[in-house]
Amino acid sequence: MIRKLFRIVDHADRPRFIRWIVLLVAFSVLQGVCVLAVVPVLRPLLDGDRDAAVPWLVVLAAVTAATCVLFYAQALHGQQIADDLLLGMHRRIGDHLARLPLSWFGTDRRGRLTHSMSQGTANIIGVPAHLMQPVISASVTPAVVALGMFVFDWRLATALFVAGLVLLATHQWAQAAIARSFGTIDSAAVESASRVVEFAQRQPVLRAFGRTGENNRLLDDALVGQRRAYGEMSRNAVIALIAFSTAVQAAFVALIAVGVTLALGGSLDAAELIVLLVLVTRFIGPLIEVVDHAAALRMASEDIDRIDEVLAVRPLPEGSVDRLSEPGEVRFDNVSFGYDDRQVLRDVSFAARPGTLTAIVGPSGSGKTTVLRLAARFWEVDAGAVRVGGVDVRELTTAALADQLAMVFQDVYLFDGTIEANIRLGRPDATAEEIHEAARLARVDEIVNRLPDGWDTRVGEGGVSLSGGERQRVSIARALVKQAPIVLLDEATAALDPGGEAAVTAALRMLAERRTLVVVAHRLHTVAAADQILVLDGGRITQRGTHAELIDQPGRYQDFWRERERAKGWRLTV
Amino acid sequence: MATRQAPPEQAEKSGGLGVVLTPVRGQLVVAAVLQLIGAVAGLAPYIAVVEIARDFLGAAVVDRDAVWLCVVVAAVGFVVRTICATTAYTISHVADADVGLKIRRDTARRLSRVPLGWFTERSSGQVKRVLADDVAAVHHAVAHVVNDLVAAVVTPLIALGYLFWLDWRLALLCLGPLVVWFGLVAYMMRDEGERTARWSAELDKVNAAVVEFVDGIAVVKAFGQAGRAQDRYRRAGDDLARFLSEWAGGMRHLDSLASMIISPPVMLLVALAGGVWLDADPAELVAFVMLAVGLGAPVLALGFGAQAMQVATDAASRVAKLLAAPELPGAAEPRRPAGARVELDGVRFSYDGRTFVLDGIDLVLEPGTVTALVGSSGSGKSTLARLLPRFWDVDEGAIRIGGVDVRDVSEQDLYRQIGFVFQETSMLRTSIGDNIALGRPDATRAEIEAAARAAQIHDRIMSLPRGYDSVVGEDAQLSGGEAQRVTIARAILADTPVLVLDEATAFADPESEAAVQDALSSLVSGRTLLVIAHRLHTIRSADRIVVLAGGRVVESGSHDDLIASGGEYARMWATQTAASEEPA
Repeated sequence: MIRKLFRIVDHADRPRFIRWIVLLVAFSVLQGVCVLAVVPVLRPLLDGDRDAAVPWLVVLAAVTAATCVLFYAQALHGQQIADDLLLGMHRRIGDHLARLPLSWFGTDRRGRLTHSMSQGTANIIGVPAHLMQPVISASVTPAVVALGMFVFDWRLATALFVAGLVLLATHQWAQAAIARSFGTIDSAAVESASRVVEFAQRQPVLRAFGRTGENNRLLDDALVGQRRAYGEMSRNAVIALIAFSTAVQAAFVALIAVGVTLALGGSLDAAELIVLLVLVTRFIGPLIEVVDHAAALRMASEDIDRIDEVLAVRPLPEGSVDRLSEPGEVRFDNVSFGYDDRQVLRDVSFAARPGTLTAIVGPSGSGKTTVLRLAARFWEVDAGAVRVGGVDVRELTTAALADQLAMVFQDVYLFDGTIEANIRLGRPDATAEEIHEAARLARVDEIVNRLPDGWDTRVGEGGVSLSGGERQRVSIARALVKQAPIVLLDEATAALDPGGEAAVTAALRMLAERRTLVVVAHRLHTVAAADQILVLDGGRITQRGTHAELIDQPGRYQDFWRERERAKGWRLTV
Repeated sequence: MATRQAPPEQAEKSGGLGVVLTPVRGQLVVAAVLQLIGAVAGLAPYIAVVEIARDFLGAAVVDRDAVWLCVVVAAVGFVVRTICATTAYTISHVADADVGLKIRRDTARRLSRVPLGWFTERSSGQVKRVLADDVAAVHHAVAHVVNDLVAAVVTPLIALGYLFWLDWRLALLCLGPLVVWFGLVAYMMRDEGERTARWSAELDKVNAAVVEFVDGIAVVKAFGQAGRAQDRYRRAGDDLARFLSEWAGGMRHLDSLASMIISPPVMLLVALAGGVWLDADPAELVAFVMLAVGLGAPVLALGFGAQAMQVATDAASRVAKLLAAPELPGAAEPRRPAGARVELDGVRFSYDGRTFVLDGIDLVLEPGTVTALVGSSGSGKSTLARLLPRFWDVDEGAIRIGGVDVRDVSEQDLYRQIGFVFQETSMLRTSIGDNIALGRPDATRAEIEAAARAAQIHDRIMSLPRGYDSVVGEDAQLSGGEAQRVTIARAILADTPVLVLDEATAFADPESEAAVQDALSSLVSGRTLLVIAHRLHTIRSADRIVVLAGGRVVESGSHDDLIASGGEYARMWATQTAASEEPA
C-alpha cells in the first residue's frame, strides 16, 4: 500500500512522504514503548506498592508526551500529503489523458473515469489523511510489544510471536480471498451497468416495442446475474471478512490459557502474569482496530490501481517539428492500418494538393472515415506514413498539426456552453463578426433565431438540446471559423437534413477555392465536382480519377453512381 | 468529506435510506441484535483477565478451578461472538444482495413508466449513476455499515458500562479525553451540512468535467484545444482540492489534536495515573488499562462508519427520488381500440410548461393511408410523432386510436397497435434474431427470417459468423444502413396496423440507400402511416402532406394541391430541388 501510494505522489513531494512514513514508524515504535512502560508501573501497584510506581509513571508520562508530538507531526504531514495528492492526481491525470491516443477513449471509459476522478480520488486521499496510521501501527506496535515481552518472559513472548505469524498468514489469506471474490463481481457489475446505459439510451425503442419493466429481459438478466455474482461473492467474502478478527480473538484466548497454565504451574508469578496479560491485550488491540479500516483501505487500494492503470497507458509520442515544407498538403504513402485484428486500410497512397477537392467514395466499412482520422492522427498507422504539410504527422508538434486541420466529423460533440462558445472553440481569438459570419454560412443563425435565448442558449451536455442536424451545423460553423488550410469533412451525417445539406454546400463553395478539401462524399454533387475521386473497396484504392474519367469505366464507381441515381428517384409509396 | 470524520449524529439522518431499506428491515434488525450479543460476548476475555487477576491477587491460595473457569468463560465468549458475527454478516449480506436486486428492478420498472422526457433531461450516465453506483453505495450500507456501526457504538458503551460498574470515579476520568474529543469534533462540524453540500457539488463538477473531457476529446484534439477542455477539468480538480484544503486547513491542527487526545498512549497514561491518584483496586485497574485504552479506536471507526453512512444516505435519497419520479398515469379501465383510425383532437403540448411545441393540432389518419409531416426543424413534427406511442401525454386535447384515448389503452394493447421506426440506431446488444423479435419475443425463427428477407437484410445476416445468433456490437458489426434494415425487419415482424416512421427515409448510410428503400416499401404497404420526412421527393405521393410551423398545421393536402397553392410547401419544395439538383 505504501509503495502504491508512493507511486502516485508527485516527485517533488516524495521527501515529505518519506518523512511522513518515518514519523509514522517512529510513532508506532514509541507507542509500543509506552505499552511496555506499563509493566514497571503496574507491577508495584499489583504488589500494593504505590510509591514505587510513581517514578515509572513519570517516565511513562514523558514517553507519552514524545509519542504525542510524533503523532501530531505525522498527522499534519499526512493531511498535507492528502491535500497535495488530490491536487496532483487531477493535474497528472488531466495532462496524461490529453496525450492519449483517441483509440483509448472507448466505450466504458467514461463511467470508470468519473468514478476514479471524483469519489476515487476522495477515497485515496483518505489513506494518508487517516487510514495509514492505524495500519502501520497495527504492524509495528505489536512487534515492539512482542520484542519487549522477551525481557519479561521468553515463553509468553514466543507464544506472542507464533500468534503474530498465524495472524499474519490469516490476514494474507483473507485479503487474497476477498480480492478474488471482488474480481468476479466486478465483471457482473460492468455488464449490469452497460445494460442500464442501454436501457436509458434505447428507452424509446424499448417502449415502442413493449419491452418495459420485467419484459426487458436483457436488463433483468443482467440484474439477476449481478445478484447471483454478489451472492457467491458474499459466501466467500463473509468467511474471509471475519476470519481475521476471529483469529485475533482466538489468539487472545489461547494466550490467556498459556499464561494461566504457566502461572498455575508456578513458573510465572501472579503479578507478572497479570501484567503480561495486559501487554497481550495491547498486542491484540491495534490488530482489532485495523479490521475496522480494512474495507476503506481495500476500496482505496482498488482506486489507486484504477488510476495507475490509466497512468500506465502509453501516450502518443509528441513530435518536435513545427515548420512545414508543403503547407496545406495531405499525403498518404503506402499506409496500412487496422483496429485490433481487423485490417482496415491496405497500402493506401494519394496526395491532396491545396486548392483541390478530393472525394473519397466506397461501400460502408471500406475505410473512408478512417482515412480522415489518420490524417488527423487520431490513431497511428501500422505501416507507411501520413504526411500533413509535407511532414510525417508523427514528427509534427500537436499544435502544428492542429493548425493545419479543420474537421467536420460524424460524431459531433458540443460542450455544455452557449452556441457561440462552441463555434468559438474553432478559433478562440475570432472576432464576433467572424463567428456570426461562419454561423450564417452554416445556417446556424436559423437555429439561433428560433431559440428562446438566442446566442446565449446553452446546448447541454454533448449538445443534447439540439437535434442531430443542428449539432452538425454548429460543427460546420466551428470548422469554418477556424480557417485552417486543410478541411476534412465527413458528409455521412451532414446529409441528414436539408438544412445541414445546404450548409455543407455553402461551406464547400466557400472553402473550395484556396483550401485543401478531403471529403468522405455521399452527395453526387460533391463527387462530380471533385478534382480527384478515390474509390475505396476493402481498404484499398481500387479506382481513382475525375468523374469524367471514371463514369465510363465499368467498375465500382459506375455501380455507385447508378445506384445513387436510382435511389434519388425513389418514393415511399407509388 | 470522505476523509474527514463526521459525528455519529450524522448517522441518524437516514430519510432516503429508510425508504430503501424497508424491505429488509427485519433481517437487518436480527443482524444488529446478533452483533450486539456478539459485542457483549467479545468482552468476555477481558472480564476473564480481570477475574483471573482478582483470583490471583485476592487470595493466599489460588483457586485453580475458578481461574480455569475464567479461561472457559473467555473461550465461550469467543465462540459465541464468532457465531454471532458470522451469522450477522451472512444475514446482512443476503439481505444486501436482495435489496440491491429489488431496488434496481423497482427503479427500472418505474423508469419504464415515466414520460420519456425524463430521459432526455438526463444523461444516461446519470441514470447509470443511480442504478449502478448509488445502489452499490446502499449495498455497502446494508452489508457493512449497520454491522460496523452497531459494533462501534455498542462495544465501547458496554465496556464503559462495565468500567463504571467497577469504579465510577476512574471511569469518569477515562471518559474525560473522549468528552474533549467529542467537543472538538462537534466544534469542527458546526456547519458540516453546508460543507458537505458544497463538497458534493464540487465532486459533481469534477464528474461533469471528466465526462465532458472524455466525450469531447475527439473535438478538442481536432481543434488543438485539448488544453482548454483540460483546463476546465483541471479547474474543477483544483477547486475541489482548494475547497478541501480550505475546509480542512483551519481544522487540521484541531483535527490532529482531537485524534491525539484519544490515542492509546494518552488513554493509557490517564488510566494509570488516575489509578495511582485514586488508589484504585489493582485488579480493577487492570480492567481500565485493558479496556479504557481501546475506547478511542471504535470511536474513530464510528467517524468513518458515519461517513460511509452519509454517502449511503445521499445515495439512497437519490434512489428514493428516482423511485418517486412521476409516472404517466395508467389506464384505470383499459379499453381496446377498435380499428386503426388515429385522431388528434385539439392537441396542445409543452415540454417546459411555458412554450407550446404543439399548439392546437387537429388531424385524422385514416386507416391504410399515408400522411407525411414536413416542416423545418423545431416545427414540432418529431414531437407529434412521439405522442402517438405515448412517450409523453398531451397537455390539452386528446389522441385517439380506434376511437379510444391512448391514455385509456393498456400498454400492451398500445404497442400492438403502433409501431415505430426510429431515425437513430436502436440496436440492443443481443443477437440479431432477438433484435428483430423485440416486439414479438415468441416469434419463430421462420417468422424472423421472413421479416429479415422482406427487409432485404437476410443475406447480410447469414454472412455473419453466427448468422441470426450473432450479437450486435460483438460479432455483428453493422453499418448504419444495415442496422436500419434490421429495425425495419423488427417493425415488419411486429406487424402493427399503425406505423410511425421518424425520418427513416434520411439515411445514415447512403450506400445502402436503395436497399433501405426497398425494405421500407415492403413495410409500409397496407398500414396507417405517419411519416416524418426531410426529403420531400420521397413523400411526394403521400395521400396527405401536412406542413407544420410553430406547432400548428399551416397547410395540408396532396403534393400537387400544395404546389399549386404556392404556400410554405411549394417554397420548401423549390429550395430542396434547387439544393439537390445534381449535375447530370
